[in-house]
Amino acid sequence: MGPARCSGVGSGNSGAYTTEIAESLRFEEEIHSIVHPSLDSSPAAGGSFTALLGLPANQAVELLHETGPSEAPGSAAAPSPTGELWRLRLGEHAAGPLHLPLGCSPTFPSNAALVERAARFSVFAAEDSPALSSGGGPSPRLKAEPLDSDSPPLLPIPTEKTQRPAKRKECEKSKAKGPAKKSKSAEENTAAAAKETAAENTDGEKLPYVHVRARRGQATDSHSLAERARREKINARMKLLQELVPGCSKITGTALVLDEIINHVQSLQRQVEFLSMRLAAVNPRIDFGGLDSFLSAECGPLATANGRGGVALDPALWSSHPVTANGARWLPQPQIRHVDVWPTQQSSTAWTRDGPAHPHALLNPGASLVGYDPASSVLLNSNQLKTEL
Amino acid sequence: MQATKSFERAFLRQLLRVFRLSAVSYKSMSLQERKSAIKLSADVAMASARGSRKWTRGLIAKLSEEDEHRSFLRLILGTEYERLTKPCHGSWKIPRSKKIVRRSLRVCSRRKNNLRAPHGFKSSVLARTLVEKRTHALKRLVPGGESLDGYSLLDEALDYVISLRAQADLMQKLLTTFEASKLSALSKCTLPERKASFVGK
Repeated sequence: MGPARCSGVGSGNSGAYTTEIAESLRFEEEIHSIVHPSLDSSPAAGGSFTALLGLPANQAVELLHETGPSEAPGSAAAPSPTGELWRLRLGEHAAGPLHLPLGCSPTFPSNAALVERAARFSVFAAEDSPALSSGGGPSPRLKAEPLDSDSPPLLPIPTEKTQRPAKRKECEKSKAKGPAKKSKSAEENTAAAAKETAAENTDGEKLPYVHVRARRGQATDSHSLAERARREKINARMKLLQELVPGCSKITGTALVLDEIINHVQSLQRQVEFLSMRLAAVNPRIDFGGLDSFLSAECGPLATANGRGGVALDPALWSSHPVTANGARWLPQPQIRHVDVWPTQQSSTAWTRDGPAHPHALLNPGASLVGYDPASSVLLNSNQLKTEL
Repeated sequence: MQATKSFERAFLRQLLRVFRLSAVSYKSMSLQERKSAIKLSADVAMASARGSRKWTRGLIAKLSEEDEHRSFLRLILGTEYERLTKPCHGSWKIPRSKKIVRRSLRVCSRRKNNLRAPHGFKSSVLARTLVEKRTHALKRLVPGGESLDGYSLLDEALDYVISLRAQADLMQKLLTTFEASKLSALSKCTLPERKASFVGK
């Protein structure tokens, strides 16, 4: 689940087993860590789901803390799941770790808009400007604005590059009327001599007035300005979506990009359906209720077996690729005894074929899996009541 | 960009919890019923792991249209269920008066035609209808998207795509894990001498 997964193309079947093995092992460790909370803070005995259910909050905090140091450069500080959903990779723009301003609310749109604008203009708003002034990704596109001199009392910062984001930060802190300026690219600067557009403040900031300077050759009444601001917001979102959907960055034009986005969403939804069908097919052998004991029983010898280099087993077990945009990529998986799930009669015969040969290996863990807890018995009772009615 | 690890972990935890809660009813279901139960569980886990967004609310509202799912959802989400479903209905359309809409459209189109240089064939109209058609299609795809305007629709679509991708990734990993465990169990049973040799090494 590292950076390699960002690229949708999976590695070829031939040479990448070790990485996939490591990945799958890591995933199983993750399941183990969730299923067996081995932390001392849990009051109930570790290793049962009731403990897990009992303290989801503690678990979340602990897990987040242990992944915190590895993620600190990439994510905001909000520990709740509603905060950061994604992190943006800005390879060509970022000179260092990405610091999002603390004044920004941790909700998704403001972060995204701010980050995206920062990426575009290579100026990162940091909590401490000295960190930024040391090396905040200086870009040749930034140009010194002659109009910066009219607001010296705002900040005593030497360089002009840091002045802009700090100014924005000051604006949102003081919540006063102030010129919110945005730096422009050099080409636009040369075209429109000393004019600059206003920084369209993000949704999280609440300034009473936004002083805007119109670009040269454009209408200045409030309607068109508002329209332009709205269009810029929408274009920013479209750019982000273009980056997300693979193969969309070359396409110009809103309608085609929207086409691609729609296709992508549809293909992802279809993939989820297929995967749930396959999980349902796998299911008769595995009772999800006793997941922890089953995994611990079966994955021990598996972990040791992988290290031995049982080549015959490995191509079958670990030949999964990361899920990509093309729906067709994940279908061909050369697994032993794995038939297509779609012809259901075929799959049922596959199970019955395997059934009589290996009843005991799976029934033994199956016997120990049946754990009725009050919640599930309530569900069962409600089902029974419904059938009776 | 991709989903953060905290989201993936929360997602996995919710999914395992949901599977455990609904495990008892798995034994007597057909394949189709199991598949829809798994899909429902995955969607609920995704929505509850993400938190409170417009599309999560729309998704939960759509899922709770059937009564049997509603009790299931209430069991899983607990107190969050009421909070998530109260303010935003799934397919709520913004109530618009036709007269006002027609008048504003007329004014807007007149202003647009006067501002730009009026020429014979209005290509902008064509472009706008194309975009509108696609926008409507996207609104139907994204849960809860019917009542969103252009900008928030794109925002929710972005979020939704990331979550969907994370969901598909997670389920794929689960699948390989289960199949691997199953295969190891089978091989353990049929070839004890191979296992002995493994353990020996």
